[in-house]
Amino acid sequence: MTISQTVPRDGIAVRRHRRIRISTVVWFTLPAAAIMALVLGVPLVYSFYYSLTGWSLVVPGSDQDFIGLLNYTDILRSSEFWASIRVTLIYAVVAVSLECALGILFAVLLNLEFFGRGLFRSLMLIPMVITPAVVGIFWKLLYEQDSGVFNYLLGTLGFEPVPWLSLTVALASVIIMDVWQSTPFFTLIILAGLQSLDRDTVSAAQADGANALQVFRYLTLPHLVPYIMIAAAFRIIGVMADFDKIFLLTLGGPGNVTTTLSVYAYNTGFKVFDIGRTTAISWIYVVFVLAISAPLIWRLFRGASVNRH
Amino acid sequence: MATSSKTNRTTRKLLWTLFWCVLAFIYLFPYTWMVLTGFRHGVDTISMPPRFIFEPTLAGFKHLFEVTGFQKYIINSAVVTIVSVVLVIGVSAPAAYALAHVSRRGGALLVAILIARIIPAIAIGVPVYLIATRLHQLDTYQALVVINVAVNIPFAIWLMRSFFMEVHPTLREAAISDGCSEWQVFTKIMLPLVLGGMLATAVFVFIGVWNEFLFALILTTSVSPTAPLAMLGFRTQYGVQWDAVGAAAFLVSTPVIVFAFIMQRYLVQGMTMGSVK
Repeated sequence: MTISQTVPRDGIAVRRHRRIRISTVVWFTLPAAAIMALVLGVPLVYSFYYSLTGWSLVVPGSDQDFIGLLNYTDILRSSEFWASIRVTLIYAVVAVSLECALGILFAVLLNLEFFGRGLFRSLMLIPMVITPAVVGIFWKLLYEQDSGVFNYLLGTLGFEPVPWLSLTVALASVIIMDVWQSTPFFTLIILAGLQSLDRDTVSAAQADGANALQVFRYLTLPHLVPYIMIAAAFRIIGVMADFDKIFLLTLGGPGNVTTTLSVYAYNTGFKVFDIGRTTAISWIYVVFVLAISAPLIWRLFRGASVNRH
Repeated sequence: MATSSKTNRTTRKLLWTLFWCVLAFIYLFPYTWMVLTGFRHGVDTISMPPRFIFEPTLAGFKHLFEVTGFQKYIINSAVVTIVSVVLVIGVSAPAAYALAHVSRRGGALLVAILIARIIPAIAIGVPVYLIATRLHQLDTYQALVVINVAVNIPFAIWLMRSFFMEVHPTLREAAISDGCSEWQVFTKIMLPLVLGGMLATAVFVFIGVWNEFLFALILTTSVSPTAPLAMLGFRTQYGVQWDAVGAAAFLVSTPVIVFAFIMQRYLVQGMTMGSVK
């Protein structure tokens, strides 16, 4: 497979090839790299500069106000910021754990033999792709306390109505909504893992007297671990950046019980118009997300460098 | 013996099918309810008890187009999405090819792409807004297209690169030694081979841009708001017209669901940026 790479070429040819290669790589990647640098890179640099100023859109002339790291120290001391970190972490940890568990369950169930399996596998994907803004507005209707269908159904089962969007329950409601939308993502990836499990190994284990639970515990689950890790890593990054659904369902309220880091950054920027502070929040946010996703970046990068023919 | 084990198996299959009918019905209930709401009179949606059986109507759709002017949002979404998809694929395909076959390293660019992919949109929201204001590009198609293109390029390069990697490198080496230029290898040999993957990538970018909400919220007001943004309008509206919301939700979510079904074969690869196949 790798013969073409290992056969030594004479020096001149290699050098010529390399020179051509460098210039083609530049030409082929330049448009994409330039757009990324201009549209994503420049704002990031700008935002770092603004984060060192006391610029507020409601205070004229304040954009010249260079205040060093004051925004950062202020934010790290504000209780609102820590409250939003807390909400983000609870949301991420609880939602992703539930999605993992349910995703494994659904994947195993979808891997059984039954009629119309392909159809059900497709249907179960629907929540995953629905526009998040649509999910947000719709779950608001489902959650309505007096006229919502959830409370009606609870009522017919003999339960008290739940104040879904109240101070105490709202965060749980946001999590339930996300679990509904994102579990199919886990199901999809874990199902791919199940399908790649070698059937012969399973039959051999069964022939040796292993029961279903033992097969699952000692064969299936270890095989699924990398798939679960990948799904969880992608979802954690997604959860960190989630905005649309939460914004449409609760606007971060009531109070700030569902104000995640992203909603907090948005509100500081576009409700309070405090540019200096919101750009500082953005930078803290970026560092936070990159730190959490570093293992995934590393894995993807390493995978990309080795999986050649 | 043989027949009874076969009947057993069929019975088991039937039971699991029944089980899945129930589970899928429950799990998809929020979606079903959303679709039903679009075809039901608004008063029937918020009446208690809610009407599960009702006389279907297109009043919601009528209201949506005649009163809300929803066609404007849909057209904006279509324009922004289609232009963005074309540009993203056009710019990313050569880069993906170069990073898969030509460059042996390109490591710095790969890491930059991953980081660009992972940085949350809101982190650049404020500076993007300020720059767009300074360039007098607020509330224009261009602004939305430019930002959507930039945001989707990292994903598109990464995913298409994984499709290009599936083509064996000897194919390119043979063509090069036959005197093909790199561009000819790319257009004549590689593109036809990865066409399926490229289409899949285009569909994923389509779904991403179509569903995009935050930049539409930040950058548009009255001229170029997209369909997801209309949902926010419904939210703040006093006395929500739920049949219209249901109709809008149905219209916005149906294209992406259909596309996802068509591209199901590539879904795993796309959702994990090629790391699971």
